[in-house]
Amino acid sequence: MIRRAHVSDDRLVEICFDGALTSAEDAHVAGCDECRARRSRLELLLREVNAAARIEADAAFPLERLAAQHARILQRIEQDGRPARVIAFPASQSPEMRPLRTRPAARWIAGAAAAGLAVGLLAGHLAHDLPQFGRPSRNTVISSSARQDVQPALRAVNASLNDEEFLGEIENALDGPRLTVLRPLNDFTPQ
Amino acid sequence: MSRAPRVPRAARAEPVSSRSTGSAIAAEVKALMLAGDRDGARERFGALVAAEQRRAVRLAYQYLRDAHDADEAVQDAFVKVFTHIASYREELPFEVWFTRILVNACLDIRKARARRLRWVLPIEGPSSTDAPAREAVDRERLTEDVLVSRARLREIAAAVDQLPERQRTVFMLSHFAGQSTSQVSQALGISEATVRVHLFRAVHKLRRILEH
Repeated sequence: MIRRAHVSDDRLVEICFDGALTSAEDAHVAGCDECRARRSRLELLLREVNAAARIEADAAFPLERLAAQHARILQRIEQDGRPARVIAFPASQSPEMRPLRTRPAARWIAGAAAAGLAVGLLAGHLAHDLPQFGRPSRNTVISSSARQDVQPALRAVNASLNDEEFLGEIENALDGPRLTVLRPLNDFTPQ
Repeated sequence: MSRAPRVPRAARAEPVSSRSTGSAIAAEVKALMLAGDRDGARERFGALVAAEQRRAVRLAYQYLRDAHDADEAVQDAFVKVFTHIASYREELPFEVWFTRILVNACLDIRKARARRLRWVLPIEGPSSTDAPAREAVDRERLTEDVLVSRARLREIAAAVDQLPERQRTVFMLSHFAGQSTSQVSQALGISEATVRVHLFRAVHKLRRILEH
């Protein structure tokens, strides 16, 4: 009698996962200790791996977590089904775009206001950067009678002084001889 | 490293003789949706989620090894199923269709995680968030007839993690999700012969690692 060859490893894997033994394989395995042992070892390993996976996943997902997940899924489905809320902007307008209708007078007023704003900003900028443009420089604010007192305290302040330096100069001046011209400034400065 | 098998949209259909619970409920949900009864469909969908949730969570967790990511993947997959229930084909087992969607959701999350790790320095290891949960694994919880020690659990998890992506996917679907070669083939859009090759290689590698 010819003894059949052992069942291959791949075939054993296939048997464990999907298929059943053929009658010839069945007969062989029944009489072959080696094949039986190999099959048992493989089955044990797979059961162990499966058990490990289940334990890990079930520990990470206890029943409470599954219930929360279930609720969250249904909540998401409900939200997805709801039509998106359209917020009217501006509030009084309907969501549909309305044709732009303006009166000529309103347009002129808006244009003039914009132009005034632009001119104001430009003038302010120039006046700040160029002291001789439109207003006296800071050191000319001091009256001629006080000029003698100011000289030691106020060094020449030019337009390029930054805010920090300018405030420093004011403090120096206040620490020195009292200046009448700086009193109003001192009065409204919180002490 | 081998690329993750992106599951194609079209997979070969296989007639199903016996209908699973999932397939039957999915067919009901589809009918309700097509009839315009969205509320009824949503209610029935709750039963479908309950029937498939545990299996989905186990699969996603094995795939992602992180409870938060697995949670997100499962949620995304179920929401996608409901959104596209009209395209569910009753002749295909629901489990196969759903598994395909779930695997894709897992792949999306893995990609997003890889992107995050590229740009953000990780403070802790990727799976460290689940460490307490894993540590909490109690031997008494083990309902299987095999008693697995904590050390062995870690060993097995590490061994499965070492499998190349394709082998791991096939092994998980075959073993953890309990799908047949034919179903895995449908779910992944690869031939049954390729499924078998990946499965053999995966098992041989696991044996090499775990059978000292």
